[in-house]
Amino acid sequence: MIKKVLVVDDDMEMLNIVREGLSGYDETFSVLTAVDGLDAIDRLKENTVSIVVTDLKMPRMDGFSLLTFIMEHYPEIPVIIMTGYSTPEMERSAWEKGAVGYISKPFMINALAERIVTTLRREADGGTLHSISSGMFLQLVEMEEKTCTIRLVSKGSGEQGVLFFRQGELLDARANGLRGEDAAYEIFSWEQVSLSIQNSCQQKEKRIHRDLQAILLEAMRRKDERRSSKKVPPGKNKDKQKGTVKNRKLSPEGVKQILATHFAEGAGVEDIYEDEAWEGLVQEFRRVATFMKAGEFKVGYLDRGADHDFIILPSDRPTVISVNPKCPRDRLMETLSES
Amino acid sequence: MKKLLGQILEIEDVQGISLMSFAGEVIFQEDSSVFPREVEESGIWKRLFQAMKEIREADLVFENMRLYIRSTDLGYLVVVMGLFAPAAMVRMNCDMLLPFLREKGKPKGLRSFFRKKS
Repeated sequence: MIKKVLVVDDDMEMLNIVREGLSGYDETFSVLTAVDGLDAIDRLKENTVSIVVTDLKMPRMDGFSLLTFIMEHYPEIPVIIMTGYSTPEMERSAWEKGAVGYISKPFMINALAERIVTTLRREADGGTLHSISSGMFLQLVEMEEKTCTIRLVSKGSGEQGVLFFRQGELLDARANGLRGEDAAYEIFSWEQVSLSIQNSCQQKEKRIHRDLQAILLEAMRRKDERRSSKKVPPGKNKDKQKGTVKNRKLSPEGVKQILATHFAEGAGVEDIYEDEAWEGLVQEFRRVATFMKAGEFKVGYLDRGADHDFIILPSDRPTVISVNPKCPRDRLMETLSES
Repeated sequence: MKKLLGQILEIEDVQGISLMSFAGEVIFQEDSSVFPREVEESGIWKRLFQAMKEIREADLVFENMRLYIRSTDLGYLVVVMGLFAPAAMVRMNCDMLLPFLREKGKPKGLRSFFRKKS
């Protein structure tokens, strides 16, 4: 199972050097990169990451803030700090905030690689299993009252997820930007998985309140449901496939309802409103679409490099969703384009 | 340039990529079949880029395709994707490309001017 290591640094040259230097370890782990803390959070939402290696001084969101965020939201992910401005106070602060490693720049790339490999070994100290059905195994975990963190990879799709057990009780799950029960349903719908077991569980909050058996049964029901309806890509709704095009107009109220149905925790949405000031830009998108034969403009995600990004839904008075950059961008786009 | 942009084109369901100046002129294009010539000639891109002047990146979903438009030091990078393309992967690859484009945009200076011809 190839692990993912997320390297965060605003120095692109440094990122490229680290990426290149670590490419010799591509049978053990792959490298993702992010240019600051906020970008890293996006990557964490989109990927199942095994380790984060982060610089401290970065624009928008620095390494200490990222470390604090990870300790709160992804407590099982170890964080290694790398910095060129090391002081004993900073190093102490990094340890106190939960970092598992601290490395001063400049460093030999092999030293970083060794640190990563050593940390990764701990992630699978309980062993690994390949090509199994997760349901049976997880019921054993429950029966044996195990405390562990289990990382799973779907053999079919390559999707990754994490399950957190404390004394046999399923506390939380994470997969494809989902958390809690929704993530567990997703993971349990995978036919065959490879999994690695870590003999500890850093997760404290309990987000799953149904027992494992009930979740497994619900996951099976959803899997059957999914099989019976062919998967439709974002932007291709079923009405379109039948040859009928819906006259789309998602009002702010309609958007709120859709988000409430599909997203448990607000999805990073800060405000929803109509704003005709965006109409000119929407017209330009439509004009390009006509020439490119792209079809109807469904939804756009716009980043102005500010604190908030915007999702635009076209109409005479476009519906605007102001989101923070931590939002599950691709899932929001997919959901809104299909609605 | 071809190699740099070619990496993005290798991502699943990416159909074409073009680097255009802020005036909508093509600087580099890979798989031009998805970029109809009349779009460039009609000044559509120029109008779009003018309307997008405060926007760093736009990820647009249409009925039949996706467009990812990213502001760079040289102009705008436009990626044409099918609806199954891994958009996050495309964004990440474009992020990685930006510093190289920045380098390409820098004046070469006297050293390259006086470089010995081989």
